[in-house]
Amino acid sequence: MTRRFRPDVDAPIYKGRYYPYDILKEGTIALVVVSLLVVVCATLFGSPDEPAVTLKQWSTAQPLDFASTALAELDGSSGVAGYGPPYNHNADGQQIGPLTLAKWMGVHIPVNAAEDFVLLPLTTLPDEPTLSAGLQEWAAASDAQRTTWLNAYAKGTMTFSAGVIYDTATGDGPVGLFITDLTSMARTGALDADLIAGRGYYTTDYTKPLLFLADGQWFGQLATAQHLGGEQWGMMNEEGNYPGQAWLWLYTMWYQVPPYNSSWSANADAMVWATMMVLTAILALLPFIPGLRSVPRWTRVYRLIWREHYRDEAQRNAAVKDPPSA
Amino acid sequence: MKGEHVAALYALFGALVPLTSPGHYIQWHWIQISVANVVVIFLMIVTFIAALLLPFPGRRRRRGDDK
Repeated sequence: MTRRFRPDVDAPIYKGRYYPYDILKEGTIALVVVSLLVVVCATLFGSPDEPAVTLKQWSTAQPLDFASTALAELDGSSGVAGYGPPYNHNADGQQIGPLTLAKWMGVHIPVNAAEDFVLLPLTTLPDEPTLSAGLQEWAAASDAQRTTWLNAYAKGTMTFSAGVIYDTATGDGPVGLFITDLTSMARTGALDADLIAGRGYYTTDYTKPLLFLADGQWFGQLATAQHLGGEQWGMMNEEGNYPGQAWLWLYTMWYQVPPYNSSWSANADAMVWATMMVLTAILALLPFIPGLRSVPRWTRVYRLIWREHYRDEAQRNAAVKDPPSA
Repeated sequence: MKGEHVAALYALFGALVPLTSPGHYIQWHWIQISVANVVVIFLMIVTFIAALLLPFPGRRRRRGDDK
């Protein structure tokens, strides 16, 4: 008993003539041509490598934004301080419904925003007896006392003059000194060096300065000005008029539409990732999905590619059906 | 000397296609895309259509073999 031919799974046995084909030659030519194209296009259209922005640039360009962000790091209200895993335990982090993915992975890049971004760098400043006393006062204070100082400082008006941060706050303990000294430290470039210290001379680990930068307004403004913001399809853009990563259109598209940018926005990264994984699985399993696997057969694009073969086949069939008379 | 030629080539290309100037973007409802990316996508579509429609190289030789 012969098995029924299934057009969306089985391939008919080819009965036509076979031709020799030098696939190694074609592969070599394709490799050389594509390699040349890559080199030429990368030379002409590759965007320039902008130097990385620094905390020094930020605190020089917008000292008040830097100082406000430093205060947010100290009082725990910044984005990183309340992010959760992988940085800390202050939230559940990214999750998909009840699946707390980030929490499962744990805190593997520990960041204590107040300690790492403010207090520890200040301890490295030499010959600052007033600051040292302030740090000791902070260390000895209770959480309630620290909160009182932070709230008092936040009620004041912050200004910047002659390279120094001032605040009209009273009863703020050592907080004003911390913010002023940290801003001055950042403006010298010492904070950039301190946040990457201990990671080797040729470090590529800029996690801490980058997280600090990302908590402020200035970094986002730079990105927005270059159309690189998340809400600007920034993932597929490059600076200026350089072509970008057009192939990331689907990935970045989800961030622009509800519910990813509304009710799911807090977990948008995880939700977009999950969506793309589902779509990738569908693509990988296409030969096993009835209906979808038949789309190429229905659209008949293959007949356009192999039109010569099908034309010859039609002529042969016509000749067999209606042979020329003798 | 070679470096000068390359620099001159860059300058010529830069004059034709000013890539470093502020980017141009197309906005349509919630869709936003750079003109540079539109050009790239258009060229990819053109390449795809050309790959479909252009005859395979060596077709005539193969046909000659048939005869």
